[in-house]
Amino acid sequence: MHEVSIALNLLEIVSEQCRKNGYSRIESINLKIGRASGVMPDALLFAFEAIKIDSIAKGASLNIEEVPVSGLCNNCRNNFTVVEEYVLCCPVCKGTSFSITAGREMDIIDMEVS
Amino acid sequence: MKVKVVTKILEANDRIALENRKLFDAADVFVINLMSAPGAGKTSLLEKTLSAKSGLKIGVIEGDIAGSDDAERIEKFSVPVVQINTGGACHLDANMINEVISDLPLNALDIVFIENVGNLVCPAEFKVGEDMKVMLLSIAEGHDKPLKYPLMFQESSALILNKIDLAPYLDVDINKIKKDALSLNPGLKIFDVSCKTGEGISEWIEWLKGRHGR
Repeated sequence: MHEVSIALNLLEIVSEQCRKNGYSRIESINLKIGRASGVMPDALLFAFEAIKIDSIAKGASLNIEEVPVSGLCNNCRNNFTVVEEYVLCCPVCKGTSFSITAGREMDIIDMEVS
Repeated sequence: MKVKVVTKILEANDRIALENRKLFDAADVFVINLMSAPGAGKTSLLEKTLSAKSGLKIGVIEGDIAGSDDAERIEKFSVPVVQINTGGACHLDANMINEVISDLPLNALDIVFIENVGNLVCPAEFKVGEDMKVMLLSIAEGHDKPLKYPLMFQESSALILNKIDLAPYLDVDINKIKKDALSLNPGLKIFDVSCKTGEGISEWIEWLKGRHGR
């Protein structure tokens, strides 16, 4: 729902790193986006296409690795990963008391520059 | 050439949120980020809170996609209020708050409420510099909400179940809401409130006073 502002933040971070280090072009950017981050990869890709024009990243492609949601169950201490859906309960004991250990990522990992 | 970046995309937002927090702390103001779905009663809760004669000096930042209806409702209580129009964005971010902080007389205030844009998803993701998040759920929204929007319930320090006066007319299972919310967040403080009848408001105000005098 807020992918344009996420894309603008992303562009600002990578542009700044290019300015500091004297890179002139970004070829590609690799991201990790958690399934529980509230970011839809397709919408982020679309937003990035729209805002990258006239920037150092105008020729850059965005590669998104989606991270599934993982949790640690507070009842049975089971570490679990939710593969398909975002319905959160421990698959072993069906408990709904857990801490989320992965799936909220919105991280820039690296980029290809020249 | 491949170069490492390893940066959180929201790092810039988090950095500004920290700046905001320092400004609030310097003025000894306790800041609450108030979140709910549209129509759950955020502005009504603020109206009840402001009319409760709590002795607390309260300021309000109103976030809406458009319009100033909410700020006009708050202005009637003669308290400092600032309206932010996000122009379509579904949440407030730290920068939007940063731009209006100087419009509030922070040194004359005990508590600032930041009424977020009505939405159960994104506002939980963007820190704005608050001391705590408080969420409202009107019971008419249904008892499936905690498990459908777990992050919002996990991030909040208190849950206000509003429109509790409607309970006799609804099939909603209020105990299930509480049970699921508490299993997601065992420390969650839950209030049964009706902004229409005033039920539960005094308990909420007492709790609020305790938070400010932390």
